[in-house]
Amino acid sequence: MLPALVRKTWRDDRLALFGWAGGVAAFTAIYTSFYSQFQGAAELKQDALPQGMLDFLGIADMLSPAGYLQATIFSLVGPLLVLMCAITLTARTIARPEEDGGMELMLANPVSRAAFAWQRVASAGSALTAIAAIPGILLMIIVPWIGMDIPLSNVAAASAGLVALVWSFAGVAFLVGAATGKRAAVLAITGGLAVAAYMANAIGGMLDGWHWVRWLSPFHYFIGTDPLHTGWHPVELLALVLLGAATTTAGVIVFDRRDIGV
Amino acid sequence: MPGRKAGDDVGMTSDIALLTEDLTKFYGQRRGIEGLNLEVRAGEVMGFLGPNGAGKTTTIRLLLDFLRPSRGHATVLGLDPRRDKAALHRQIGYLPGELVFPGRDKADDLLHFFAAARGGVAWSQVTELAERLDLDLSRSVRTMSKGNKQKVGLVQAFMHRPAVLVLDEPTSGLDPLMQQEFLAMVRDASGAGQTVFMSSHVLAEVQQAADRVAIVRDGQLAAVERVESLGKRAVRAVEIHFDDPVDPTEFNVLPGVSDVVVSGPVLKCTVDGRIDPLIKAAARHEVVDMLSAEPDLEETFLSFYYHGEGAGDASRAGA
Repeated sequence: MLPALVRKTWRDDRLALFGWAGGVAAFTAIYTSFYSQFQGAAELKQDALPQGMLDFLGIADMLSPAGYLQATIFSLVGPLLVLMCAITLTARTIARPEEDGGMELMLANPVSRAAFAWQRVASAGSALTAIAAIPGILLMIIVPWIGMDIPLSNVAAASAGLVALVWSFAGVAFLVGAATGKRAAVLAITGGLAVAAYMANAIGGMLDGWHWVRWLSPFHYFIGTDPLHTGWHPVELLALVLLGAATTTAGVIVFDRRDIGV
Repeated sequence: MPGRKAGDDVGMTSDIALLTEDLTKFYGQRRGIEGLNLEVRAGEVMGFLGPNGAGKTTTIRLLLDFLRPSRGHATVLGLDPRRDKAALHRQIGYLPGELVFPGRDKADDLLHFFAAARGGVAWSQVTELAERLDLDLSRSVRTMSKGNKQKVGLVQAFMHRPAVLVLDEPTSGLDPLMQQEFLAMVRDASGAGQTVFMSSHVLAEVQQAADRVAIVRDGQLAAVERVESLGKRAVRAVEIHFDDPVDPTEFNVLPGVSDVVVSGPVLKCTVDGRIDPLIKAAARHEVVDMLSAEPDLEETFLSFYYHGEGAGDASRAGA
């Protein structure tokens, strides 16, 4: 039997969870299903954009199946959607209930501070994992169905990267919330870091002498390895998972040590 | 009073439910509570009184481990609020002063969550309390009035029959009828051996339910008194009508008598403590009538512990 707090967390967040899941699913399905109709237009679109812009947006080519998925699902809008979902849902684990006062009665139950934090992060993390996995799961069905010529193993690798990316930023968001108890801080700091990380990856790939910046960016470990063409890169994925695990653990430790609701 | 423990200051010191030693909390430079030394015996009802901002909620939140002391420590049922939090909170019923419920559940679902989180509570105990407080469990807590929310808060605090009830301003939002029902619940809990520590700035409710009162002011403990002795020390207004005019000097030298005003045969004064000296002195004259206002804890409170600052809050409170 799952802890009561985990079930309660899911139940309280159910509207947001279903909303995000529906949005991410619709986004994936619609974009991918347009692949065949899009083929003609892609050529025009690719010619219309300067190469620098394409590089910045992480679009290698929009004509190949891998390039198309990269451009639509995995480069900008897809990660943006799931990261927004991750950051706002993670802000609900500690920061929001601490600010609105609802956390006191949850914490007044027979559960240690650390156990409370772990249960909250486990509830949100599992839900986020499910949502971040939706594009991958749908692509496993849609790609063979519409006959896109790309190895499913590569799609799986990129999709796993999306989940790992979500874990890393959810960990950061959790740490900020656990340390500050402020929802605005979670959104601003984690959102700012996500934008900075995206820029670092994009600019690091474009400017000579700035390549090293990419190594600081989780986006590089997610998509910089070009999984849609080259498949699995376990070390890079592990780096994202470790970032998420380390920030989450740090969050639990900080939360266990501070005053609540001051 | 029913449910009142007979034991006084002796013989029960080994059975301490709640103990604070030099308990201190500063928020930066701002003082929450300082140097609090307090003992609440098992089965006792202790009122925790003071104006807003005196440090009542800070103390309670220290006991619940939401805050960590800057100095000193507290033990509840002999356990450490931080180290033994999980075990301890199974035996604590807590009502926050700022009552906010997590989520948008119906009262029914919310209480099921609390029941499950506390390792299972017989549902009959929940419905019993809800009936007692006349609470409709099928409504969403978010849409409830303040009074009904407070009832849900009380139900969740009492439902698992905890050894210690820590209640922060428990009667706020309740109508007078429900306040009486709540006080009856407190007496029943005390009768069943549960310890109750409840904060308030309303003296009347403490007077009715508590064995002892701890009074805090400006972050420090001002006094701990038995409710009865608080009553005995009460200041009362006395008015005596004599047959003939009297001399005020005869009365204003009496112990405990002050504010003597004589207009012809009518004497008005305030008496602090025993009224006997005044009666003896008055008996030397022909007394037509005598009026003595009931000892008012509110006035006692003011005269002994406030004098000036903070008085405004206390005098508003019970009105």
